[in-house]
Amino acid sequence: MVYTTRSPALLVIGLIILLWGWMNQSGNVDGLQGYLHPGAIKAHQSALDKHAADTRAAAEKAKAEGKAAPAAAPVKSSSFDHIKAGQVEFSYFFGGLFAVIGLLVLAVPMKQGSLDYYLSVIPGIAFILSIAFVVRWGLDPMFANWGKAVQDAKILSWNFATIFNLNYVVLGIVIGIVVVNVFKIPAWAANGVRTERFFLKTGVILLGTLYSAAELAQLGALSVVMIGIFVLGSAWLVLIMGKRMDAGYSMTGVLAAGVGVCGVSAAVAAAPVVNARAVEIAYTIGTILIWGVLCMFAFPTIGHLLGMGPVQFGAWAGTGILNSAQVAGAALAFDPNSIQTLKVAEIFNITRVLFLPIIVVWLAAWYVKHVETAQKVDLMQVLVGKFPLFVLGFILMFALSSAGVFAPAGHYQGKYFSSAEVKAEGLLKEKDTKALEAVLPKAKTSAERKALEDLVAQKKLISREQDSTLKEVAKYEGVSKEAKDAISAANRAAWHDSKIIAGYRNWIAWLFSFGLIGLGMQITKSALMQAGGKPLVIGSVVGILKAVGSLIVVLMFVREFV
Amino acid sequence: MPGAVLLAHHGTPGAGRAAQLALETAAERGTALVHLLVVPDFWGGMQGDDWLNNASTRDVFARYLEGMLEREAREQLAAMEADCLARSLAYTPILRYGDPTDCLIEAAARTRPDWVVIGAPRPKGVPGYRSRIDVAKLLRVLGAPLIVAAPHPAAAARA
Repeated sequence: MVYTTRSPALLVIGLIILLWGWMNQSGNVDGLQGYLHPGAIKAHQSALDKHAADTRAAAEKAKAEGKAAPAAAPVKSSSFDHIKAGQVEFSYFFGGLFAVIGLLVLAVPMKQGSLDYYLSVIPGIAFILSIAFVVRWGLDPMFANWGKAVQDAKILSWNFATIFNLNYVVLGIVIGIVVVNVFKIPAWAANGVRTERFFLKTGVILLGTLYSAAELAQLGALSVVMIGIFVLGSAWLVLIMGKRMDAGYSMTGVLAAGVGVCGVSAAVAAAPVVNARAVEIAYTIGTILIWGVLCMFAFPTIGHLLGMGPVQFGAWAGTGILNSAQVAGAALAFDPNSIQTLKVAEIFNITRVLFLPIIVVWLAAWYVKHVETAQKVDLMQVLVGKFPLFVLGFILMFALSSAGVFAPAGHYQGKYFSSAEVKAEGLLKEKDTKALEAVLPKAKTSAERKALEDLVAQKKLISREQDSTLKEVAKYEGVSKEAKDAISAANRAAWHDSKIIAGYRNWIAWLFSFGLIGLGMQITKSALMQAGGKPLVIGSVVGILKAVGSLIVVLMFVREFV
Repeated sequence: MPGAVLLAHHGTPGAGRAAQLALETAAERGTALVHLLVVPDFWGGMQGDDWLNNASTRDVFARYLEGMLEREAREQLAAMEADCLARSLAYTPILRYGDPTDCLIEAAARTRPDWVVIGAPRPKGVPGYRSRIDVAKLLRVLGAPLIVAAPHPAAAARA
């Protein structure tokens, strides 16, 4: 069988993306970009005006001194330039790639084989990526502007785009859902759309580079406690309710896995083990999907209204949302610009998925105990077969990152201390060292005094301990603003960002954006409509208890300690 | 085909009554019975957002589900064939995966039946798959009289 559909769609998508890149590079869409990024264009314009004024002043000064006008200094690139440059880079790379492969697909008749198999996914990838471009580069800033404009005009006292999380994550998922349910996924894109799982897992694996050991230990312990209580508690509650409502053992079993652990993934894993019937699977998955989608939109709004922080919200979403796919969506929807909340929520997701084999084994044993005709299950085979391999990738990336492969060891999210890398322009000036010398009498300990003396002598920070010590000194009463600024400047000069980790952060956001649009394309109305019967009643009761219970626990006991 | 009754049947309880009516109609008129059995396409979205599992778990689930749906379909086809045999009716099965309405329209266009028989919609609150025939769409294109086997057994029981 040949999988690749001979369609000009890929070539057309590639050319449109290339065109967007060229229009950005040539400045043809500066007006539109300025509308989408009003803050950046304003700063850009001010910088240009200042540069022109400086150049003019330098020329006039030179003229007054009878010298030749100096060559104008190059204009420093602004955030507006960076926005455009990023889009140009992406557009040329992906647009070029898609156009070339699109031509290949049209020109060369495909034969059955590996090349055909792998090429068949590219049009679907291009389809999702083109939606991701529109959402991230267009709709996301547009809604942000509208939310602000409506608030500024005092039509609303709150920013509707922030409260309703109308950012690239939610908009991407919504567009995915609309595409599959209203327009249908085109045949040429069908294979590629399924690759969303691969990209989501890759995003989780790369996320491993952003944790510190202490953070992972803290979040891991918290997630084990929370997930342990709520997974086992909700699975147990489903078993009790299923028995009371006479829902049948196979129905109860598959529902316990789905509602208790990680939603559709758990239902899929448990269904064959508890011999679930087709109608039971339909009910269970429909119930979980409908709850997952509702929670994905409701949780971030509730989180904003309650003023939750990344750790609290990540812990709540990671525990309270039935379906693990929607956990990532809710975490990014809550906090789309930094990925702090996603980091927390994904640890909970990973803990959930690690619980999955255990719960499946438990349910298999429970089913065999209650149903005489049940076939015995090879428990070890279940444990090994259900083990999520991508978690090993996550652990490997964490280990490599901690070992200093991507940034010097001891970095946190790519930020690291290095005295050796302080550039000449980062060294303290004479006025700074004088201000610091005036602080010397205020030092309370010999360590503080030495830290100040070393900074004055070296004009830069030497160690992290010195940095921490001086941060405390800066808080003392009577320390001048100049001295505080000097300590702050030395701190900024000594801390660096790893370009590799920064690149990973960017890719993680794109991978999740891509994956969540693809995930939206998997949520069909016909599947949602299967929710019903006793599973909907049981799932709703347990789902509400889990969401509310985990919210109370998080608000009472979880602090923003990471 | 000398004459046929086309029965659309996709495993819902209402279809049982439709099957009975189709058998009676075919026996009365001495026509063949064409049995369309549709596995609804909502199953395609039933493991859609399972992203955590590895490929082997998904394969096991897909094989399990496909095997179960196929077994159920074969059982229903075999039961209907036995009923036709008992009444000495010629029997032609058609098994399709897709949207029930589209599959019925396609089967009707292909077999050109004298009658088309479908089950009545399930009353509210009665459990079952939510995969209904779009009667309005069907009536716009159908070239044969349509018999709806009302009332649904659950509605009849309530009455």
